[in-house]
Amino acid sequence: MNHEPPNDLEEKAAIMREFLRRRAAGEPVSDELYAQHVNATNDRYATGPATGQRIPDFALPDQSGALRSLGNLTGPNGLLLVFHRSADW
Amino acid sequence: MLEQNGVRMAAVSYDSREILQAFAEKYGIGFPLLSDRDSAVIRSFGIFNTNIAPALRAWGVPHPVDYLVAPDGTVTRKYFVPNYQHRVTASTIALREFGNAGQDAAAVTLRSGALTVEIGLAAAEAFAGQEIGFFARFRVEPGWHVYSSTAITFDDPKIVRQSFELPGDSALLGGSFQCLGSLLLKFPVDAGRTALSGKLSFQQCGNTVCEPPETIPFKLPLTVEPFLVATPKK
Repeated sequence: MNHEPPNDLEEKAAIMREFLRRRAAGEPVSDELYAQHVNATNDRYATGPATGQRIPDFALPDQSGALRSLGNLTGPNGLLLVFHRSADW
Repeated sequence: MLEQNGVRMAAVSYDSREILQAFAEKYGIGFPLLSDRDSAVIRSFGIFNTNIAPALRAWGVPHPVDYLVAPDGTVTRKYFVPNYQHRVTASTIALREFGNAGQDAAAVTLRSGALTVEIGLAAAEAFAGQEIGFFARFRVEPGWHVYSSTAITFDDPKIVRQSFELPGDSALLGGSFQCLGSLLLKFPVDAGRTALSGKLSFQQCGNTVCEPPETIPFKLPLTVEPFLVATPKK
């Protein structure tokens, strides 16, 4: 079994499509395909600012349309900022 | 758990504001969902996922990173879980950062000779694929100590990765001290009530005598939530 992530974007895309197709169809996803999918998705992953560094300034609309930045999001002891894929799918 | 420790939460994705609004209403989400429509903030953090072909709808998503930041924007801690569908539990973060375990979380107390150890999970429930924290509070009677070889390991097929840290680098440990660890649950794994099997291994010595090395098994009950749990609010 080869769990090395492929280098080619198209090869990764084929794995991701097959994974999503099986998920959507309710078909079983083998451990092998699952591992390939995770490896393809996480290849050369980056985790951004290091511990102790400052995060970049940002200003984004929230679900109600209000513009939010660190200053109006944080609690007295900080903010847990979660980056995720999508709320749509 | 986070809120009562003075930490708020916000989530960033590339979805439109309308999609986030519908999602928040459907699932009763009370924290801000931020719309990074062109992934500009995702890029500025340096976590744009370059593995996704532009033709896929996932193009534009970030690597799944959670940042705990101080009010001035300094990163206090980062959490990255390889499985993008699951995250470290909020209760695990609360345990690690603030020392609070969930009220209904399982704990056991083990005793042998001069040693008493309370071992507990950060929460009573977790999802398959999620990382859950655990703590071990040691109390060693005066005149006795244990060694830095003291370990808690889980030999359970439901756990695919684990860590356990002793406080500091001291070879000898005495008095009262707390250790933290984490467990990454297998994905997929059967949902329902289960128990995680672990063991505590240590050797305790007094000033004039050493007991033989010991291993004490234990079990911690945990409810594993099924894969898809988000249920629309009525």
